[in-house]
Amino acid sequence: MAPKAMIQDNTRCIGCRACMIACKAWNDLPGDVGSFFAGPGYQNPRDLDPHNYTVITYAGIDAGPNGQPDWVFGRLLCMHCLEPACASACPTTALTKTPDGPVVFNAWRCIGCRYCMQACPFVVPKFDFDKVVPAIHKCTFCADRIQIGREPACAQVCPTDAITFGDRDDMVKEARRRIASAPNRYVPHIYGLDEVGGTSVLHLSSVPFEKLGYPANLPDKPPPVLTTKVLHFTPKIFGTVWVTMAVVAMIVKRRFRFWAHDEHEAEEHGDR
Amino acid sequence: MATADRVRRGRAILLLLWGLVLAAVVATIVRYATGIATIANVNQAYPWGWWVGFDMLTRIALGGVGFTMAAAGEIFDIKGFRPIVRAALLVGLLWYLTYAAVLMVELGRPWMVWIVFFSWAPTSAMFEVALCAVSYITILVLEFSPLVLTRLGWTMPVRWINAVYLLIVITGVSLSSLHQSSLGTLLLLLPTKVNPLWHSELLPVLFLLSAIMAGPAMMIVEHVLATHFLRLQPRMDVLRSLTRGLTVLVVVYLVLRLGDVLYRGVGDATLSFGFEARWFWLEIVVGLLAPLALLLVPNIDRNKWGMFAAAACVLIGVVLNRLNAAVVTMRVHSWETYRPAITEVLISVGAVAGMVLAYIYLVRWLPIHTEPSLPPEPETTPAGTLAQAVS
Repeated sequence: MAPKAMIQDNTRCIGCRACMIACKAWNDLPGDVGSFFAGPGYQNPRDLDPHNYTVITYAGIDAGPNGQPDWVFGRLLCMHCLEPACASACPTTALTKTPDGPVVFNAWRCIGCRYCMQACPFVVPKFDFDKVVPAIHKCTFCADRIQIGREPACAQVCPTDAITFGDRDDMVKEARRRIASAPNRYVPHIYGLDEVGGTSVLHLSSVPFEKLGYPANLPDKPPPVLTTKVLHFTPKIFGTVWVTMAVVAMIVKRRFRFWAHDEHEAEEHGDR
Repeated sequence: MATADRVRRGRAILLLLWGLVLAAVVATIVRYATGIATIANVNQAYPWGWWVGFDMLTRIALGGVGFTMAAAGEIFDIKGFRPIVRAALLVGLLWYLTYAAVLMVELGRPWMVWIVFFSWAPTSAMFEVALCAVSYITILVLEFSPLVLTRLGWTMPVRWINAVYLLIVITGVSLSSLHQSSLGTLLLLLPTKVNPLWHSELLPVLFLLSAIMAGPAMMIVEHVLATHFLRLQPRMDVLRSLTRGLTVLVVVYLVLRLGDVLYRGVGDATLSFGFEARWFWLEIVVGLLAPLALLLVPNIDRNKWGMFAAAACVLIGVVLNRLNAAVVTMRVHSWETYRPAITEVLISVGAVAGMVLAYIYLVRWLPIHTEPSLPPEPETTPAGTLAQAVS
């Protein structure tokens, strides 16, 4: 199967949150009692959490036709990076990137070190800090549905076709086509095309992405490139240090045998 | 001070230490019964916080005293160092054991930790740290065990260990240089969260170098304090060599640290004197410039408290460096903020108290400090002085 991807076209989103409900239904997540908070008031919940793998964000900005305040929607969900930092960070390979595109989590192998949460540039994986037996929670890209040839629950349920699912190559083409065909409607930026080496979720927007609250100025280089380069040397460092130390020890021992009158050798030998 | 007063004060300190350990144990029980959130402020945006900053990054760095002093004493065989290696191993072992202990509180699913040994994750710095740390704790136990085994009268295993002692030490040094640098690699993966004043491709080198620098500093602090409280004659020649080594290491690290900041073009950020810049300069001034100034004072190596002050500053600097990078200046794209809870710090304090207690009891039981006693103080009762004079 070719790697899959999803377009999140925020210009088509009407903020109905059907994707959030479909996500809860398919993933069997419990409902929550919402609460208002300072900031984008109608948004609920405030952020991703162990019960919410996706959240529609409500940014109130001056984006109406005459510059009046208007809602601009965005969506939080796992971006399913092409080179996921979370999976590279996991010490027990509980997180893995599947060939189809989803980054999936195997709760059984998790030791709860939370390095994946730190590694994620999008701050996506969430943890049950309030549970005795916690686990990591995040969007699965409905890997189980993709496997049987169906699209993710959020993509299927979206009433305005704001979510489009297909092969990543096709989705990149489609996103480019949309921007080219309606340059007034879109900012000329596919969020996720190059960010941290590319992701499997491609966002389109009518306003710059930082105004939606998306992390801006992400490097194009995938973070794991930084560390795998270093960790690649690991066995060599071990070998080099070991041999160097052994050689030094040999030289030092010989020196003392040569100057046998060195008083401190005799003293120290009795010491251990 | 009269002996009775001294005994009373000693008992009070012991009681306080036991109280802290007990408080940490109670907090741990609460954590296991109700979840991490009850005792810690770590949250969805700042999942690591104080525990990883102090109890993982800092404890392991300070535990570097074990491998640096073992290398100096056993491999480089520096004159007079062998007798102090025992104390270095004990202190190193205690830092590592308390790291492992707090890790069991900090990990979300500590009962699954064994699975690391049935995993293969060569791209993960955490995997590397876990494997190396466990192997190195085993090495430290092996290095230290002859003292305990001899005390228990089991000479057979002591002979086996001594036969391959040098190989054990060499392996320990190699393992240490790996995981000390991998702690830097751990933060290298977070370019969007670690502040540019700390995030550098040189992080693995800087972390290794500062852990090596912490070695002699920790040794000086331990030796001066131990000989002071045990009323022994400090080994001034050893302290002098340690101070000389420390001076070189501080200079090398300072040049590399500042050079790295300038080379990466973030030097301007240090002159803003904003929040991050102030913490940066605190780290540089207290941890590197102040001790360097002290170490360059003529004849500082004749004054044990002068050397102690310089070494203590270096240690504070290493602690600041790890905390700055992983906790103080870390910023995450989120509405959440982080400040450690009192109970979170209490766990660490309790673990330090446990270390001190273990040290106090073990130093009495094992021949770790074999330096000759100080001459008796003048306040000793006339009868005592007389008795000594007669004998």
